[in-house]
Amino acid sequence: MRSIDARVGTLTTSVLMLVLLFSGVAMAQADEAPKEDLSFILLCVGPFLLIALGFAVFGILWAIFYPILFLYGVIFSERNLNKRMSGLVLRESASIEHFGKDPLSTLKGSHIVGGIKETGLVYASIVFSPSHWQLMIAWINQIFGGRIDVLHRVISVGRAEAKQRLREQAQAAGWDDVLNVRIDTAEMTPASKPKGTRAVEVFAYGTGVKFG
Amino acid sequence: MVVNTETIAGKVITQNLGVVGGSTVRAKHIGKDIFAGLKNVVGGELTAYTELLEESRTEAIARMVADAAARGANAVVNVRFATSAVTGGASELFAYGTAVTVE
Repeated sequence: MRSIDARVGTLTTSVLMLVLLFSGVAMAQADEAPKEDLSFILLCVGPFLLIALGFAVFGILWAIFYPILFLYGVIFSERNLNKRMSGLVLRESASIEHFGKDPLSTLKGSHIVGGIKETGLVYASIVFSPSHWQLMIAWINQIFGGRIDVLHRVISVGRAEAKQRLREQAQAAGWDDVLNVRIDTAEMTPASKPKGTRAVEVFAYGTGVKFG
Repeated sequence: MVVNTETIAGKVITQNLGVVGGSTVRAKHIGKDIFAGLKNVVGGELTAYTELLEESRTEAIARMVADAAARGANAVVNVRFATSAVTGGASELFAYGTAVTVE
């Protein structure tokens, strides 16, 4: 019943505010209508002008910086991807050394003989995006069909990163093994919005266990 | 105790209290959205959105656990997650599982 009370409260407040607004406007019209001076018009149009100015400034900045960022993407996006991949290989081998094996598995745990002392949830995620240059190459590839290696590489790096973060989370929480690992991929922008941020979200989760 | 396996090792499930869930919709402020849009041109990780999802995931799990605790459960098993994009820059996260009592 509390939610209904809250709704009634909100409704009353908004009706009161509307009445206040309209009476204010009516009084202002009654007073100011004969001499429509510049300040009153400015007061009415001012907020819209400010918003328009904001859009204009943002548009100009975007027009200047977009080509620079795009060029940066053309030159460095492949290199950054390779750098991240080689960093990942190092981190992966470090955590495999810590656990003695790859801790992640999709098994449910019935294979463990020694018994389990403690369990808990582990999860890690990353939002990863291809650069606009890579998207453009992918678009050109789409015309001819077949494999689109650029996007495949970007997504697999994102997925490897999410898995590595899961290993690091498990290591930080002191788990010995991670069971029943699932990897979900979701898109950040809904399909109904074609001009949004193009990024994939990779989410890895599993059950951490401590051996008894 | 929250796990995504069907059983909790070393414990026996005594009572099944039904499906519990927790969800949240969150967004970052517009400055971070604009920055993420710029970062998107260059490619790579969008840290603001990673943070956003991490926060909303923690919140969804906390809500699910609160739901389970309200039913008198002491563990949630077989937890799953679902993500959907409501609009650009906002994410809806849903965590659900089965509330049980274990001994």
